[in-house]
Amino acid sequence: MKEGRKIRVVIAKPGLDGHDRGAKVLALGLRDEGMEVIYTGLRQTPEKIVQAAIQEDVDVVGLSCLSGAHNELFPRVVELLKSEGKEDCLVMGGGLIPEEDVPKLKEKGIAAIFTSGASIHTIAEYIRQNVKT
Amino acid sequence: MLFNQDESEKIARAKKDWEEGLLKRQLERFGMKEPPSRTYTPLDLRDWDFLEKVGFPGQYPFTSLEYPTPLPERLPDTASPAIFLAGAYAGYGTVEDTRDLWRAQRRRGANVAFDLPTQLGYDSDDSISKGEVGKVGIAVDTLRDFEVLYEFLDGVTTMDQSASNFTINAPCNIILAMYIAVAEKKGVDPAKLRGTPQNDILKEFVARGTYIFPPEPSMRMVRDTITYCTKNLPLLNPISICGYHIREAGATAAQTMAFTFADAIAYVQLGIDAGLDVDEFVPRFTFLNFSGSMDFFLEIARARAARRIWAKIMKERFKAKNPRNWVISGLGAAVEGRYCYTTQRPINNLARGIIMGVASALSGGRPSGGVPYDEPLGLGHSYEGTQLSVDAARIMRYEAQLGEVTDPLAGSYYIESLTDEVETETWEIINKIESMGGAVEAIRSGWMQREVAKSAYHYQREVESGQRVMVGVNRFTGENELTVTTNRLVPHPYDPKKREGAEARQIANLAKVKRERDNQRVQSTLKALYQVAKDEKENLIPYFLDCVKAYATLGEMCNALRDVFGEWEPVGIL
Repeated sequence: MKEGRKIRVVIAKPGLDGHDRGAKVLALGLRDEGMEVIYTGLRQTPEKIVQAAIQEDVDVVGLSCLSGAHNELFPRVVELLKSEGKEDCLVMGGGLIPEEDVPKLKEKGIAAIFTSGASIHTIAEYIRQNVKT
Repeated sequence: MLFNQDESEKIARAKKDWEEGLLKRQLERFGMKEPPSRTYTPLDLRDWDFLEKVGFPGQYPFTSLEYPTPLPERLPDTASPAIFLAGAYAGYGTVEDTRDLWRAQRRRGANVAFDLPTQLGYDSDDSISKGEVGKVGIAVDTLRDFEVLYEFLDGVTTMDQSASNFTINAPCNIILAMYIAVAEKKGVDPAKLRGTPQNDILKEFVARGTYIFPPEPSMRMVRDTITYCTKNLPLLNPISICGYHIREAGATAAQTMAFTFADAIAYVQLGIDAGLDVDEFVPRFTFLNFSGSMDFFLEIARARAARRIWAKIMKERFKAKNPRNWVISGLGAAVEGRYCYTTQRPINNLARGIIMGVASALSGGRPSGGVPYDEPLGLGHSYEGTQLSVDAARIMRYEAQLGEVTDPLAGSYYIESLTDEVETETWEIINKIESMGGAVEAIRSGWMQREVAKSAYHYQREVESGQRVMVGVNRFTGENELTVTTNRLVPHPYDPKKREGAEARQIANLAKVKRERDNQRVQSTLKALYQVAKDEKENLIPYFLDCVKAYATLGEMCNALRDVFGEWEPVGIL
């Protein structure tokens, strides 16, 4: 990470799910933790999310999904980031993610999943420890 | 005026003596800077007027209760958990999957959950629907799907003896058209149809997210529902105005009420602007509940204030003549906030549900055990959770006799002060919204959305700092704490195989309909819809009926409307 540069994060809602309390709270929280945060709003396709990630030159992509479509959408974002040459991005997820889905998501390149009960500070620390410099 | 001047002064002097004597010594003795609890006295209700503030049950301002007495209990003693589960909001996969589930549950009415593509006006074969078809509810693309769904009533009862709730908002009138068309096919007079589509599009912009079109054309379609139902479907409620989602998205109690009532004011105005008399259509306006929190006393006060505020709005602002139309119809009493339930040590949620059940009883509602304790653990409440919740309500009702007195806290120095406080705060926000130009404007500018996000963030900060205690989450989490578990028997895990396979099956169903329908007829009905959508004065429901009967798809109809209305692109919401 460049000297003095704030960590840049895009928080996105892939798919059709409209529950955005967690995504918005995290966006506001990470801003207070000193990061630059872009919130995409609802109904983003993986393509649009990756486009935003590239345009905004982010270090982290945070994906939120509560509709059960995470197994399709999260890996697709990772795939597209790779094919667009943005492999240095830390991809994380949250929402309603059953425990049993987490290992497969991690295999497919989602670095971490933070769901209900996780604190903003824990997530911020994780990002600081794991963001690719 | 509760107490005369002399009495008040006497109490004020006595209070001063107490504060400077007993209280001071207590604080010193235990090294406390502040008293750990507050005390209320008659001084807090100095200018209070019983008839103005509370009155009698079923009478303006309805603070204690909407009706002169609680309504009689309808469920027999033999009601089992299965009966409660049979009324629950449900739906998954294809309509065949849900029809079969409902048959197995012996349902006599529908409480329909639609999948996200349906709620958002996309067909199951749309690329944007990939991975989402049949996940959070049933996939409905054409009338054929509704015909199959309503087979659940065959041999059980007829559609005019049954009611249907549809949790559908943006494409509400299309679903309504399907409901009417199925009834007609079954030889049932649509005028006998009962039910409630949710149809509260404003809260979608603020909290729930299933909007399609911008606010104005969306409101035009709610106007269509109100006028069409008032004229043709006299037993159907055109709307269920929701505070619930706004609260669950993070708004405070007062914000939730203010935003909901501002929305409601906008909806009532729709009917008036369409030339209807307020007493004609408001009888069928319903409200969903306002969700809740663990702030026990606040929720009691909030419920009482809600009744009073709506009564004032209907009587003083809209000048409804029939006193029945001053009543908030729906669940005004306190309920639990589901976001207060925890996945950590979940059986504690039973305690939370019961606490709010007591609040409900003390705010004029029916005591309820709350949503079953396993709500946060996944789809489907267990039989155990349901039984515990139902029995908790019975214990509150019959053992603790919590229904014996209506609004037992009326007159309490604390509760009446708090009710007034919540009411005042709510009016301030309502007036602020009105000064912005009303709910639609407050939403278009993103103001309401930003307020909700700010409150949600504030709440999270309170939890993370420990200021807001969540037992088992941010406090009392040491190694000596136990996670008590039960063996949950969830009666209808939505069959995971069916759920996974639903998308492919529905795409095939849809393809078949498209092959077999008269595509020319579809095109002409869609064209007519497109043309008439441009004229704001036209009611679109008859045109939806034509499209629906031609087996046009939900996506085709919504795309025609997207061409006219555009899609809503929110800005500045965070």
